[in-house]
Amino acid sequence: MAVNLGDADADELPSMLWGLDPVYSAYSKLYITDILQMKESRQVPGVYFYKTHPLFQVDVLGTVVYKRERDDFYCYGVDDSTGVISCLCWKDEKWSDQGESSKCRDPSGSSRGFNIEDELKRLKEAERKSTMLEIGDLLRVRGTVKTSRDAREIRANCFYKVNDPVMAVQILHMLEMPQLYRKCYDQPFQMPKDDLGGTEAGGSSHFHRLLSRSVLALKEFLLEKEVARFRPYDVEFLLHPLIQSCSAEQESDQPGTSFATQIRKLLKETLSVLQDEGQIFRKIRTADEVYNVTEQDKDLHTAIKDVLREDTKREKYAEKGCHVLHILSSVRQRYSQNLSREVLEVALTFLECNSDIISTTEAHYTVL
Amino acid sequence: MLPPPAVFHFLWEISTDLVKDGASVRTYGRLISYEPEESKAILSGQQSSAQYNMSVQTTLVEPFQPTLGAQYFVLGEIEKTDGLSGAILHARTLSNVDGVDLTLLQKAIMEQRCFFKERLPEMNVQAFNCKPSYMKNL
Repeated sequence: MAVNLGDADADELPSMLWGLDPVYSAYSKLYITDILQMKESRQVPGVYFYKTHPLFQVDVLGTVVYKRERDDFYCYGVDDSTGVISCLCWKDEKWSDQGESSKCRDPSGSSRGFNIEDELKRLKEAERKSTMLEIGDLLRVRGTVKTSRDAREIRANCFYKVNDPVMAVQILHMLEMPQLYRKCYDQPFQMPKDDLGGTEAGGSSHFHRLLSRSVLALKEFLLEKEVARFRPYDVEFLLHPLIQSCSAEQESDQPGTSFATQIRKLLKETLSVLQDEGQIFRKIRTADEVYNVTEQDKDLHTAIKDVLREDTKREKYAEKGCHVLHILSSVRQRYSQNLSREVLEVALTFLECNSDIISTTEAHYTVL
Repeated sequence: MLPPPAVFHFLWEISTDLVKDGASVRTYGRLISYEPEESKAILSGQQSSAQYNMSVQTTLVEPFQPTLGAQYFVLGEIEKTDGLSGAILHARTLSNVDGVDLTLLQKAIMEQRCFFKERLPEMNVQAFNCKPSYMKNL
């Protein structure tokens, strides 16, 4: 499997930037046809893309054309004239025992003034009634988009019947939606201006995108080829297609920088990111730049297991296991003084996934 | 399982070729007659000083309180017959919307159509006169 980045996340915004798009955090008011047709993200399932915007929560208004009721939920089919989607609306348990109490209400309510209990009961009753709809009623649903059994549906977080006797709400909706699309959803996502980078705003955001792609490429390569150790020039080739594709797009990068310089800069930043994450490390700091891959370094794993095996025999650590920092200092003595905490954490997680070791608390480990 | 979406159409469009047999539509009009025994109602609308009538089969939405002269909003499937009665709408929903601002409703429907037409220029949507000046007024 060659690492083909041509179409992998070329169209999609990298996931670490999603939070910057306000559409992602909002319940987007989209036409149902768009909700049904939008593509699921290749990076994270459960998140969808409408043009350049990532989103997973929507707000729809439409006529109920289908109804199915069970003990604990309603399934309403909502039609907004562009499409029909089913909405899964969970019933609230607090409404289930309203039957008896509603009868003993004081109908006039005026004589006693403000009785909080009665008012609360009336409020609960009103809430409950607003969730019971029939075919032909107008429904507003705010919820998460889910794909189940090849069909898109909305799992409602909030839903209620809209009283619209003179169609005012629907008219407003029809007038408002094109505006929203023109101003917001159809506009391509713009990265906010970044003043920290020395380069132009367009340049630094472009570089971020490039960086996340190169980090991903390198990680995939190291995993697939089970690389235990490498030098920078061994993996440089992975970055070539990224730089080539970006210069073809003619972004406003620094003009005049050569291909080699760009590659070198990108490689340096990528290795730095991976080191900070703990995925790779340099065992010995010499002129020769050799990187070890944490999850593939058998010697490191053996060192950690030896430390745990020996120390958990001691009374001090027998019950609770060894704290991460203790393991860190021991492994540093045995294996490499340059080991960072991040690298150790990655290795410990890896070993735990393989059931070689066990964590007794969030920061303590032991071996059986 | 789910019915097809019902597209907004005006009464005067229903008898034309814009609306196919079997299409799901939503429309509105003034109730001018109702025969409960036959479950038949007639909605009427006006455009350019011409009256347009449409028959509605109300079997699925009965019983309802018929108010003659009131505006009704109806959603359902069109059946085109070759006979004199023209098209019949088999209503799935019917609601009294008396008091609706007809001009504003028409404007909203047109605005939405203009937008759909903008998005999909290759599709053959009704070629209505789209006035972008609506956007400036809002």
